[in-house]
Amino acid sequence: MRHDFYLAWRYLRHHRMRTLILVLCLSLIAALPMGLHRVLDAGEYWMTRRAEATPLLVGARGSSVDLTLGALYFSEAGVPAIRMQEADRIAATGWADPLPIYARYRVQGRPLIGVTLDYFDFRGLVPAQGELPAILGDCILGADAAERLGLGPGDTLASSSGNAFDLAGTYPLKLHVSGVLAKAHSPDDHAVFVDLQTAWVIEGLGHGHAETQAAPTQPDSPFGAATVGRADAELLTYTEITPENLGSFHFHGDPATYPISAVIALPHDARSATLLRGRYLDDKSATEIVRPLDVTRGLLQNIFRVGALFDGILLLVGGIAFLLVALVFALSLRLRQREIETIYLLGCARLAVLRLLLAEILLIALFAGAVCTAVLAAAAPHASNLARHFILS
Amino acid sequence: MPTFRLLSFVIALLATASAWGASAVSEHQLKIVASNYPLAYFAERLAGSSATVTSPAPADADPAYWRPDAKAVGAMQKADLILLNGADYEKWLAHVTLPRLKRVDTSAGFRDRFIRIENAVVHSHGPAGQHSHEGIAFTTWLDFDQAAQQAEAVAKALIAKRPELKTTVLDALKTLQADLAGLDGELKRITAARPGLPLMASHPVYQYLARRYGLNLKSVHWEPGEMPPANEWTGLDKTLAQHPAKTMLWEGPPAAAVADKLSTKGIASVVFDPCANRPESGDFLVIMKRNIENLKASFQR
Repeated sequence: MRHDFYLAWRYLRHHRMRTLILVLCLSLIAALPMGLHRVLDAGEYWMTRRAEATPLLVGARGSSVDLTLGALYFSEAGVPAIRMQEADRIAATGWADPLPIYARYRVQGRPLIGVTLDYFDFRGLVPAQGELPAILGDCILGADAAERLGLGPGDTLASSSGNAFDLAGTYPLKLHVSGVLAKAHSPDDHAVFVDLQTAWVIEGLGHGHAETQAAPTQPDSPFGAATVGRADAELLTYTEITPENLGSFHFHGDPATYPISAVIALPHDARSATLLRGRYLDDKSATEIVRPLDVTRGLLQNIFRVGALFDGILLLVGGIAFLLVALVFALSLRLRQREIETIYLLGCARLAVLRLLLAEILLIALFAGAVCTAVLAAAAPHASNLARHFILS
Repeated sequence: MPTFRLLSFVIALLATASAWGASAVSEHQLKIVASNYPLAYFAERLAGSSATVTSPAPADADPAYWRPDAKAVGAMQKADLILLNGADYEKWLAHVTLPRLKRVDTSAGFRDRFIRIENAVVHSHGPAGQHSHEGIAFTTWLDFDQAAQQAEAVAKALIAKRPELKTTVLDALKTLQADLAGLDGELKRITAARPGLPLMASHPVYQYLARRYGLNLKSVHWEPGEMPPANEWTGLDKTLAQHPAKTMLWEGPPAAAVADKLSTKGIASVVFDPCANRPESGDFLVIMKRNIENLKASFQR
């Protein structure tokens, strides 16, 4: 038996190029589906982790998937707005702490998220540079957003106007970058965060203005004071919040009626969570409560149903590849006919020839297995990053 | 000698342990920011050594008209609890970013009883610039029953933050509310002696005091350190013709010239300090007792 493996090893070593190609083909055929599964598992972990960390989500009644994707992953498909009083209503129950989120706008292609400062504590987001927003008009950038926009503390960026056809006249607001958040490996990295009140200023619900003659004019500046051509004419609406005009900023109407996209509810315990969910059982209510984990799991199940199809295709491709390898072996046997005949004439039994061939196959399989394990081991630490890059980005 | 060494070792060990214990306590101290002194006083009484309480407004500024800069907001953001008076007291609140879950609106419990001020006069005093008292009257704590409710709100917030302090906080609340009830009862007793007695106030900050204790109060917009212009004196004479007050309440001692001129009109100047900022000496309770004593003389005159 030892001699069989010795002879097989010598043979494979002699035909090292052919052996190498076979080993590589077999190892990659095995490594590819396994590696992909690891990336998908990591993706599932990251998606589930964010949903798991978000106990309950309240938003407009409708698609719970849209609500979850909008509030947790800041998807571009907006969700219908609800009113701020929903957050107050949750707080009034005493069962949960509300974290309102307003994710309607985008700034230079990045989601502009209006939150309260509690959101940063909740998600464990801390500034890597600068500070958290302090004054109306401040914003803080996610790590990737800062890198892509090339901005840092002290820089400014302009919010997009809410609606180009808004005759009431809302203007882009010049946001002051107060800091950059440390990398969180989550959708927060791609977002620009402002205080909820700043988001409402962008919405046009709050503004600062002074009488025309008293206000500074900068006609050439895109961020100069803009004259409002409407019923309350002769007023200048500021498009940049500065320490000088900060005092003139004010909001109209009842803040409880102001729009938000969703409320993350943080129940104090399991009983509070159940009681709170009970409050949203009425089908006629304009709002609904969802468990993001259930929604995300449902979504992932659908994704992995596609994954199963993908597995089937990979299995088929693997089978074909195996048949091709078998064909290569069969052809190689035909080429080695004279060699086999010589072994037989030397006095070896037919079984010995078979044993030699089996030893060769076993050795190739062992080498392929080793290479496959090495490739998977080398790729394992990167699976998480690949998943975050390709699935969560 | 070995006994002495052993004793020294034990003493050193105890000193280290006590220092470690002290640092551990300070690490666990709650950081509380109160927007005015009455709230800071309530928090100090209720939390004792379990918290460090600060007020962001400088000592020489009126917290009601002070505006925080980014640095002050940053400091407030780091607090465990931010105690707000509510009733439109913190006008800067819409301009800053503070965590909502750490904010406690101590007057939310009696929101439906706020006093709305209409047609207020725009005026200025000190470096704070022009302002008016239009909107909601905010010196809520001068109604000692409301002050007790605000103290209760502070206690609830403390307990929610540190449930292990519940017994201590509730005991302290009982004592504090008893003190406030004492002030309330004393003021009611004094004012009941001469109901409807006409009084003047130098500034419109006594609305809740007047409502709770049935004071027949009219206000001007005078500052303790400034001599009012002639038209203000004429206006006062007109008011006195309809409202024959013999006492004017002041937030602080008025300038001697102003007090003298008032006394020629038969009006005594009485200090009733709202105590919105930390006093140089004494505390909230001491100042309020002094206020009541000051007012007592007017009702006994």
